[in-house]
Amino acid sequence: METISATCPFCGCLCDDIQIVVENGKVLEVKNGCSISKTLFTHHDPDDLVPQIEGKKASLEEALDRAASIIRQARFPLVFGLSMTSCEAQRKAVELAEFIGGNIDSTSTFCHGPTTLAMQSVGEPTCTLGEIKNRADLVVFWGCNPVEAHPRHIARYSVSPKGLFNPAGRRGRTVVTVDVRATPTARVSDIFLQIQPHKDYEVFEVLRALLKGKDLRIDSVGGIPLDALKDLVNKMKSCKFGIILFGMGLTMTRGRHLNIEAAISLVRDLNQFTKFLIIPMRGHYNVTGADAVLTWQTGYPYALNFSRGYPQYNPGEFTTVDLLRRKEVDAALILASDPMASLPRQASSYLEEIPFVVLDCRKSYSASFATVFIPVAASGVSISGTAYRMDGVPVLLKKVLDSPHPTDEQVLDGILKRLRQR
Amino acid sequence: MSGVGEMNEILLRPKVEFDVPVEAEVISPDLFAEKSHEEIGSLPVFLGNRKMCLKDLFEIEGQSSTNIVLEGDFSRVKKIGYGMSRGKIHIKGNVGMHTGATMKGGEIIVEGDAMDWLGAEMNGGLIWVKGSVGHFAGASYWGSKHGMNRGMILIEGNTGNEVGKKMRRGTIAIKGKTGDFLGVGMIGGTILAFSETGERPGAEMKRGSIVLFLENCTNPPPLLPTFTYNCTYSPTFLRVYLKTLRKLGFPVKEEYISGKYRRYNGDIVELGKGEILIYEP
Repeated sequence: METISATCPFCGCLCDDIQIVVENGKVLEVKNGCSISKTLFTHHDPDDLVPQIEGKKASLEEALDRAASIIRQARFPLVFGLSMTSCEAQRKAVELAEFIGGNIDSTSTFCHGPTTLAMQSVGEPTCTLGEIKNRADLVVFWGCNPVEAHPRHIARYSVSPKGLFNPAGRRGRTVVTVDVRATPTARVSDIFLQIQPHKDYEVFEVLRALLKGKDLRIDSVGGIPLDALKDLVNKMKSCKFGIILFGMGLTMTRGRHLNIEAAISLVRDLNQFTKFLIIPMRGHYNVTGADAVLTWQTGYPYALNFSRGYPQYNPGEFTTVDLLRRKEVDAALILASDPMASLPRQASSYLEEIPFVVLDCRKSYSASFATVFIPVAASGVSISGTAYRMDGVPVLLKKVLDSPHPTDEQVLDGILKRLRQR
Repeated sequence: MSGVGEMNEILLRPKVEFDVPVEAEVISPDLFAEKSHEEIGSLPVFLGNRKMCLKDLFEIEGQSSTNIVLEGDFSRVKKIGYGMSRGKIHIKGNVGMHTGATMKGGEIIVEGDAMDWLGAEMNGGLIWVKGSVGHFAGASYWGSKHGMNRGMILIEGNTGNEVGKKMRRGTIAIKGKTGDFLGVGMIGGTILAFSETGERPGAEMKRGSIVLFLENCTNPPPLLPTFTYNCTYSPTFLRVYLKTLRKLGFPVKEEYISGKYRRYNGDIVELGKGEILIYEP
């Protein structure tokens, strides 16, 4: 029996204080982890997975050969996923996409892609989670529900921890939640503002106008009384260090990137009065890393196309949802994500019409439809590597258990070698 | 086809139905003007990631002309007339993305529908679409400072969202319905939307004019709370615009020319020098 320190590869918090008790290759106990983390480690059982071609068992070599032949024939292939694997595998995926002249996109396409667009437009006043812990005295959760989606965010960083400049912990912070319903996060907040669905943009505009001292001839906006918003603006102006943490309640509702632009513009305007910052609550544990690796390798964060040998960037044109919805791609390589379970039906149904390869550490829903399925070792459980936390801090993923399967990187490399041999 | 040469136009027809996108910014009067039939045929295009010649994908008739006619379905062909500065492209069918984007002059006529980024960041010239268009017509590309800067886009059908995003100068007129965020972040120029419009027109606009006629619109969207009512009047500049449109052949009702308009200024969270004019029947 030994105790191994690990990093939890589930959500964007990347908790790196997990202690795991292992005996004979089995996890006995997970200390410090949230319930999701505990399930992730204790239920990890990759042994019964085998490579498959069209649903039939195959050897790894056969599966790699078939995968290479699918990609070789494609004229407009798509490499998609990236967000549940290490940066090392992501780097290899970029190399592959460039070599085959394909499209490459991460799961940002259906989560925080609009955030990236807004940041390119108006900038990113941001900080690390450690700064929130040590300094923040006003925390605004907008369209996100960390109690259920990022279970330790509140305890480790944003609400309850005692920090260097906030020795009182929870008592030293005002917590505001803006959401369409009273989520569990709203219940642990001091102030809850219930907003009508799809009205975030209007509320941000009004907050910005109030901040600028403009007189507005309205009583309420988006279901929130103007007085409550005036009160919020006063709190925002008078805090010492404020932070907006936002989720898909903002990025995937009517307005999308423009909602985020409005939110960031508000934060920018607030910095005339006090220190105010904003952080997106990224979901998949290494989706921030996908953005980072793609930007480092190509100059652009997602929605890329290499058809002409050089990267072309255009969300809306090369984003996965749009490529599939318009039925443009003719083959796909999916790693570390489950698009058929998470993409809109209109887009995911097209995958059934084209050959596609899935690399995954579990038999996902997409894997059951894949032309070729290659099981891989799980990053952060069976292989070490690098991942980026939601605030852009790189964290080391550690190996806890052995795996009989190759890594994403090795499989991608195997496909690349076959393509190069021709 | 006989007679094509005499009329001095170049005719292109797709040889097959494209299953993957084609990038063909070479379909431009600037490039076709001085080239022989052979030279035009060997211009490079991309079918997905395969580099090919124009003649591999299209039947070509005619040579050395700035007058291009496209027949058939071009809805997967991107960047037609990209950056063109003169001549005319007549598309007798649907057309793909980025048609006429960054163009500086000349004329594009689309008989069918056009897709996203029609005339994005254009600097001059005229685009006339008889059908509907996708999102971002006359808009800026991601991360760009401004959208269209001079020129005119006339659309008889409907449009998607964010038409005229960050436009700097120029005119867009839309006969049909428009999507959300019409003229978002406008810095200048004029947008005339004759029918229904989506939510939040003029959001974050700095300057420029958006004119809403709200024809057959029973439930007009509320303006953002950051727009304030100024007055009801009959703007002189609008008469000039509407008469010019009518002269070009774009349908404009007589009552619009002499009618009264409610003026709202905004967006007050930005510069606030923009205006939304709403026709008062």
